Amino acid sequence: MITQVYFWIFSIVALATALGVLVSRHPIHAALCLIGTMVSLAGIYSLVAAPFLATLQILVYAGAVVMLLVFVIMVLNSAKDDHTPRWDAFGWAALAPSAATGFFLLRVLLGADAAHSFALRSTDPPAARGTVEALSALLFGDRIGAWSFLFLVVGLLLLSAVVGAVLLAKHHLDSPSAPSTPRPGGH
Amino acid sequence: MGDLQPIQLQVLAALLFAIGLATVMARRNLFFVLMGVELMLNAANLSFLSWSRTMPGSVGLEGQLAPIFAIAVAAAEACVGLAMLLSVFRSRESLDTDAFDRMKE
Repeated sequence: MITQVYFWIFSIVALATALGVLVSRHPIHAALCLIGTMVSLAGIYSLVAAPFLATLQILVYAGAVVMLLVFVIMVLNSAKDDHTPRWDAFGWAALAPSAATGFFLLRVLLGADAAHSFALRSTDPPAARGTVEALSALLFGDRIGAWSFLFLVVGLLLLSAVVGAVLLAKHHLDSPSAPSTPRPGGH
Repeated sequence: MGDLQPIQLQVLAALLFAIGLATVMARRNLFFVLMGVELMLNAANLSFLSWSRTMPGSVGLEGQLAPIFAIAVAAAEACVGLAMLLSVFRSRESLDTDAFDRMKE
């Protein structure tokens, strides 16, 4: 029963802050709303017996991704960019297919045979499921499987993303980003 | 009614996905497009987690493994996306999505 209460609180907060991302005027307000969505989703993850995933959600999303987003918003100072309209005619028209997508997703979900397709077959307590031990036993098990190969691929992906981001964000590739000559007043 | 049913999580994920899709398509600012993509990725993660509840044992646990990789991919996507946004802003002085019409220059 208490799980239901927490789920409704978290889901209402998640939906409200997601709507805040959609309608807010300045990107920094949207980023703060996005943190609210991430944190309440982390709460829901910990309700459904995934404590490690909830930790990752807060660490990586609310901690790293949104923080990077806030840094870039502040660096660009996009308040200067007032001439970009918040909505235009295409924006209003684009709300219709989004609403239709949501409607059809809900129709498929609610029209399904809930007792068969959505039966709750794992009622383990959080301590027995989704911990670091259980997930790592599945990931780096006794044999080299698809998941551990995927783990190596993710390492390569992150490395190439960092290198690509540095290359993209640098002004000119052949010029050093900082002057290499020592300052005259230095010791 | 006591336990959290998977269908509740699926409905929440569908609503979050629709809001993220509306943010991507309707907003003109590039920051909002990136945030909408993050919302949609989160909705997909929630859906994975809900399906993992419908399976017993370690079969269901693999549904908790997939979102870990999705989170890693989302971090890489945000990193590269923000770098592209910086370089577009330098050359165009604008964050409008219409400034993205020519990538090479």
